[in-house]
Amino acid sequence: MQYSPTLIDHFRNPRNAGIMRNPDGVGEGEYKDCMDLVRFHLRVRDGMVMEARFQAYGCGPTIAAASAATEVATGCTLDALLEVEAARVEAAVGGLPELRRHAADVAVLGLRAAARDALSRAAETRSDRDA
Amino acid sequence: MNRKVYLDHNASTPVHPEVVEAMLPYWSERFGNPSSVHGFGREAREGLETAREQVAHFLRAGKEEIVFTSGGTESDNMAIKGVAMGRGRGHLITSKIEHHAVLRAMQNLETLGFEATYLDVDGDGLVDPDAVRRAIRPDTILISIMHANSEIGTIQPAREIGAIAHEHGIPFHVDAVQTFGKAPIDLDAFHIDMLSFSGHKIYGPKGVAGLYIRRGTKMVSVQHGGEHERRRRAGTENVTGIVGLGRAVEIRGRDMAEEAVRVTALRDRLWEGIRSQVPDVRLNGHPTRRLPGTCNICFRQVESESIVLGLDLKGIGVSAGSACTSGNVEPSYVLVAMGVPVEWSMGAVRHSLGRSTTVEDIDYVIESTVPLVAKLRSVMPVRA
Repeated sequence: MQYSPTLIDHFRNPRNAGIMRNPDGVGEGEYKDCMDLVRFHLRVRDGMVMEARFQAYGCGPTIAAASAATEVATGCTLDALLEVEAARVEAAVGGLPELRRHAADVAVLGLRAAARDALSRAAETRSDRDA
Repeated sequence: MNRKVYLDHNASTPVHPEVVEAMLPYWSERFGNPSSVHGFGREAREGLETAREQVAHFLRAGKEEIVFTSGGTESDNMAIKGVAMGRGRGHLITSKIEHHAVLRAMQNLETLGFEATYLDVDGDGLVDPDAVRRAIRPDTILISIMHANSEIGTIQPAREIGAIAHEHGIPFHVDAVQTFGKAPIDLDAFHIDMLSFSGHKIYGPKGVAGLYIRRGTKMVSVQHGGEHERRRRAGTENVTGIVGLGRAVEIRGRDMAEEAVRVTALRDRLWEGIRSQVPDVRLNGHPTRRLPGTCNICFRQVESESIVLGLDLKGIGVSAGSACTSGNVEPSYVLVAMGVPVEWSMGAVRHSLGRSTTVEDIDYVIESTVPLVAKLRSVMPVRA
């Protein structure tokens, strides 16, 4: 399996690995058939992702894609993150072999879930404040 | 610059320099067709028959009992289908952890009306000889049990199974691709009627292998054409490859016993080094009744392909026990048959050592594995 130098770099030196205290949004992407699991924690200010961290179980490309996905997410609005496409994460790791495209898919599932969670928490906070 | 450490000898081996030397004249000097009657053909025939003698001598078999083929897969198919087609119908016995060449040949025969029993194995990967005995039916025509499994290296009780087959007058086929030239095989004591072996697992070339067929074994050809190999396998012989196989076998006869002792010690050093420094690991396969160079380790809750990639980046070649393709993962069917839980089997890594493996190689693999697994576990989410 031939991987891009960018993917190898993310695998060797994962960016933003780990969790954060009191995140504003948490989401998971999972492929049950593959058992891959990616979890993102987001720090959000004014609807924009300030910081993203990941945890991942899976093959090398899945770990690399999750790492690259934190960089894709940082600076994005939550609304934009809800629409983020796998192609964007795939590009961020310098491409994926056909048989490893699921790595970007599972990362995007996780990012979108985290964005949904952050929007939901923000809505709850607003509603508590307004009550 | 990273070291290069090859620990995938169960997949393939580098051709021994003495084998290369033996093969060289047969590319362009002794290139004739061994079936030709002229001098060019006779030269090639001489190389072919010398190789046959070398293999027969190693196995303590008759020259006429050795048939050369293109690979272990062909040898397995020839044995299983050759016996089955000769009988026309009947029941075959094998195990759940055989190579796909055996399993899929059996499955193919099932589509043609044959019946097959796939025996379970225990937690160490061993077939119970009593289970073989219990599976025998009046219409059983073949028992095919491998000598050692390529993933875990467990060596089967071939002697006991062969005795049962012999007692019932049932032909016994042994896929010995992983043990031939690595562990002792006694055709008569094990009552083996057919034995598959291969060249590229023992420092010979790829694309050449063979099948031992005990004199008197009733079977038919499954490949038709010319009169080659005493009408048992049609097709011009791969003379250059066969010459290499013969020389490789001769070298194994010389080096096998001493090398087995050395490689076993390295194998155990590898396991001990990893076991003592990495938590949550288990050794797959029988603790002692195992191929000298095979060390299959499960790293719990780590995905094996990520370990393979991480070690590859350090110049180390090992193989993953689970294969991930297009979002579908297939845990090793061998580990599944052994009852290894999925959270373990997903992290199976096979290290297979060989003649060139050194203490320094093993220590480098241990040094590389310990931080890699720790790092992979550090980014791993705890499942809800």
